[in-house]
Amino acid sequence: MDYIYSILTLTGITMIGVMGTYMVTGLTGQFSFGQAAFMAVGGYVSAMLTLRFGLPFPVVALLGAAAATLAGWLVGLPTVRLRRDYISLVTFGFGEAIISVLNNSAQLTGGAEGLVGIPKRVDLPLVLVSVICCLFLVACYKNSRYGRQSLALRTDELAARSMGIDVNRMKLVTFLFASAITGYAGVLYAFYSQYLEPGYYNWTVSAEWLIIVFVGGINSLTGAMLSALVLTTLPELLRFASSWRILIYCVIVLLIINYRPNGIFGDWEISRLWKKKTSAGASKA
Amino acid sequence: MNAITTTSCGLLEVSSLSKSFGGVRAVCDFSFNAQPGEIVGIIGPNGAGKTTAFNLVTGVYAPDKGSVKLDGVELSGLRQDVIARAGIGRTFQNIRLFKGLTVLENVMTASDPYAPYGFFSAILALPGKRKADREAADKAREYLNMVGLGGMEDARPESLPYGLQRKLELARALAIRPKVILLDEPAAGLNPSEVRDFIELVRRLHERFNFTIVFIEHRMEVVMNLSHKLFVLSFGKLLASGDPETVRRNPEVIEAYIGEEE
Repeated sequence: MDYIYSILTLTGITMIGVMGTYMVTGLTGQFSFGQAAFMAVGGYVSAMLTLRFGLPFPVVALLGAAAATLAGWLVGLPTVRLRRDYISLVTFGFGEAIISVLNNSAQLTGGAEGLVGIPKRVDLPLVLVSVICCLFLVACYKNSRYGRQSLALRTDELAARSMGIDVNRMKLVTFLFASAITGYAGVLYAFYSQYLEPGYYNWTVSAEWLIIVFVGGINSLTGAMLSALVLTTLPELLRFASSWRILIYCVIVLLIINYRPNGIFGDWEISRLWKKKTSAGASKA
Repeated sequence: MNAITTTSCGLLEVSSLSKSFGGVRAVCDFSFNAQPGEIVGIIGPNGAGKTTAFNLVTGVYAPDKGSVKLDGVELSGLRQDVIARAGIGRTFQNIRLFKGLTVLENVMTASDPYAPYGFFSAILALPGKRKADREAADKAREYLNMVGLGGMEDARPESLPYGLQRKLELARALAIRPKVILLDEPAAGLNPSEVRDFIELVRRLHERFNFTIVFIEHRMEVVMNLSHKLFVLSFGKLLASGDPETVRRNPEVIEAYIGEEE
């Protein structure tokens, strides 16, 4: 039972992290190969604040997310002006740089040996509530002027500008919100696992999140969440196949990308089920 | 160099616009103007620099030289989105709709930069946000009805037939409530009956809003039916200008088109 609990908890945390990737990739169409680094920033900042100053969990959770946002601002401010392909390079470099810094400032972070002694403050119910809250915030964001402008610039920056959309600002706002959400995922992870090590946050994690988003649907939050759920638990379910599981995982991903290039859900959202009814009612009225 | 400073009452006043790409002078010393409520056509052979001129006016490229004034306010050198918000809307030769959004949302993007709610009302879906979005949707619906796209709000733009995509792009450009609207070959790819339909639509919209229209077009039917004034571009330079009938008889213009016109 403990084992299932821990898988579910970690899946929930991954889902929140994936929301960040979804926003950057699904909404504004950029590739962040350093998204996991914001998780590191959130996790380390909140953990160190607790260990050094004994601040209570809700406060450090906020500060951790804020620190990730600040890091997002530092990376985002210069990169939103760049072409999309460069953004993946910059975020990749940023992610690896963060890991380096964490590894090399051993007095502060414990370096490669990791940061130990973090009190346990996170359990499955808190993670579930967090997933629901974050999902609500992100879904509202997508369905607001921010989401629409982001999606507009995702398909066509030139046309978006011709509609008066401040493309760079929009990219930055979305990027910052994504950093904050991912940072919060980092806080949850730190106070759940009670142990942090820099190696956990390298680019393969960011790449995995990108895969999750693409499998779920290029522009579907519903898809991203379901695919996060399946693809994080899948390796565990395939555990009996030991070393074959990575292969099976990869084959499944390849098949989906090959036969459904827009991902399983494309841009379908579950909210359309009830939106259709209301708009049909409105047009009759 | 003619450094004449003209004080004129043109709503859109473009003077001696120039732009080179490497060694190619795409637009050279091109001036044109549009009075309030006027429909102005820009014609010229392929590659004459018409679309480049539009791109210079709307800020896609910064001009090497020259000025663009809207209502007396200098716009050249400003960012594209700032120019759009200043009141210049446009459509594109190769339709550029937002594929990730529905038909309705495409038009709603026009009011989104001004929507009266901030980040936190957005992510919490506060009542103010919901009300503002409802109003924006109603307004967008009005524009869709105007161009004859009522009832297709939830469709995806890429699923619409070509002619309707053109109309949607027009509705989207109208929705930013521009003082001047630039149409880049709005009738390209339309069949003859769609062209007549389109001319009617532009007439109707023009009567209703009385805004200024500047358009690029090859279809002479559209040019002669709609424009009050014509500017002819050839190899980046202004070849002739005036009312449609005079321009039509201008021997230089006929030569530039090598009979293409008749």
